[in-house]
Amino acid sequence: MSQSPTHAQRSDVFLLDAERTTWHDETLWFVRQKRDKAVYATPEFQELRQLASDIKDHTLSQLAEYLEQFEAAALANGVRVHWAADADEHNAIVLGIVRAAGASRVVKSKSMLTEECHLNPHLLANGVEVIDSDLGERIIQLRGEAPSHVVLPAIHLKKEDVGETFWQHLGTEKGLTDPQQLTEAARQHLREKFLAAEVAISGVNFAVAETGSVVVCTNEGNADLAIGLARVHIACMGMEKLLPRLSDLAVFTRLLTRSATGQPITTYTSHFTRPAPGKEMHVVIVNNGRSQQLGRPDFRASLKCIRCGACMNTCPVYRRSGGHSYDFTIPGPIGAILSPNIDMRQHVSLPFASTLCGSCTDVCPVKIDIHTQLYKWRQVLGAEGMLPASKKYSMKLLSRVLARPGLFKAGGVAARLGLRLVPHALSHAPGYNPWAIARELPAPPKQSFREWYAHQSSVSAK
Amino acid sequence: MSTRARMLAAVRASQPAALPLPAVPLFEGEASVGKFTTVLESIGGQVVSLSHLNQLAATVALRYPSEYRVASALLRTTVAVNAATAATILESIDLAVLRGAFGVAENGSVWLPEAAMLHRALPTIAQHLVLVLDRRDLVATMHHAYGRLASQPGGYGIFLAGPSKTADIEQSLVIGAHGARSLTVLLC
Repeated sequence: MSQSPTHAQRSDVFLLDAERTTWHDETLWFVRQKRDKAVYATPEFQELRQLASDIKDHTLSQLAEYLEQFEAAALANGVRVHWAADADEHNAIVLGIVRAAGASRVVKSKSMLTEECHLNPHLLANGVEVIDSDLGERIIQLRGEAPSHVVLPAIHLKKEDVGETFWQHLGTEKGLTDPQQLTEAARQHLREKFLAAEVAISGVNFAVAETGSVVVCTNEGNADLAIGLARVHIACMGMEKLLPRLSDLAVFTRLLTRSATGQPITTYTSHFTRPAPGKEMHVVIVNNGRSQQLGRPDFRASLKCIRCGACMNTCPVYRRSGGHSYDFTIPGPIGAILSPNIDMRQHVSLPFASTLCGSCTDVCPVKIDIHTQLYKWRQVLGAEGMLPASKKYSMKLLSRVLARPGLFKAGGVAARLGLRLVPHALSHAPGYNPWAIARELPAPPKQSFREWYAHQSSVSAK
Repeated sequence: MSTRARMLAAVRASQPAALPLPAVPLFEGEASVGKFTTVLESIGGQVVSLSHLNQLAATVALRYPSEYRVASALLRTTVAVNAATAATILESIDLAVLRGAFGVAENGSVWLPEAAMLHRALPTIAQHLVLVLDRRDLVATMHHAYGRLASQPGGYGIFLAGPSKTADIEQSLVIGAHGARSLTVLLC
């Protein structure tokens, strides 16, 4: 059994506020519905999904070659390229660039990779001010929290929470909850940071091997404003972000936001190929477990993810448990297949945080077989002996009972009788029957299926 | 062995057998002014028709207050901007009027190449943005758009679709996050 709390235990915290849980569920379902409308309005959407999936499969099958092609093109463009095997190396490279620039003020646009590497604490510990400039990211940074969603990082918060945070940190009026006014306060506060920053850090949505370009997608324009003003741009990319050709971007930019929020495209889809004259552009290419996942045939396809969040918005478990219950940089169904690759023991409960309904697979714009991989991770974790004792022994017991018809029959009789006789407090005791914590047990039937079937054949014989 | 060499070796050792790269068809669609306008307006932008480019100055003067500090290569302007302009000057700009290269009807975006921006930060630091576009430069889908770029995206370029916006506070849509608070496309 793992040391850290399970997904279910962490979800209990989120579920304490029933009203907020319902609101979270409905909000994300609304985003899912917006996705559906955008998808139905795009006649070739399913064709685009297949193309995206095939392009990604091809790219992963020749990733080393494309990484070399990207590097050569980027170097020719005057971009400096760095390679990082893991999070520590990534953080050291970024800090090194910041120091070489003589800088102490950094603005960052949204990047799940830098979250994954815990870049902010590293920079702060080394005396560098780092400000997240995406509004949602800035809100959670001020609160000392992690993002709970890859596209909507502050989706777990209500406007009252944001009002309280801004009152404490930005000096807005107490009790202010109007999103327009709160956004305006953040705009004024962040403009000062944009103007003062010497270095701008961004993530990378797509990197193009053919041209050496990196593409960054935002709705707020924070990446463009930060990079346009700062002297140094550092783009941090996971090595699976590559696409072969510039024209492949047509497929992916059509899929990304329609799947994410139902928008036809992000407000800013920005292509950074060469540094502005007199300025610097760096790209840090990060592995951090990705080559290992590439080597697992059953889980390789998880590297095709373009971080649209559609699987989270549709997942009945994510919507009712919140992103923080996953305790991993990427939450939800996709996170539950990426996380055991990083640490099986720590994330052992995540592949079980699913109903296996397959909705995640249905909405995935790059056709990752998410629910199949969740199922496969369960087998791997079982074989590795990592299942909790309660699950392991109950499964063993059940398989023995199911293998012996006589025992199964006797067990059925005992259960039907027992459920009638056992007091409710005992049959629903949380310690013995966690299934019944929030559910009612069905009324035990009077006869078993076998008894009913035998009776049917005697009736028809007459 | 360098990190680079180790990473590439690890990737090579894990790669499956080569899979084919599919050809992407040129998906067609409607490239009309009507479609472009409907989509851009649905995402918070505005589209205004100009009968001729020589109406540009008069149209801008009519639509924006006269005290606005304007930066543009297309008009006689109040603030001169080039790639070396200081941030303190850029931040005072109320309106930028720039020439878009082409528009994409399916998503209401306009391709803005570096050469049309005067300064890389201008399209996002200006409080309001006007993009001037020739109506003959509308394409149907992103496939046609990247066809126009071939394999030459330039040093920096943006597909810009509407004003800066956010929905990070309780999913309420707010226009004007960090970049331009409004976007108007003047079609001539």
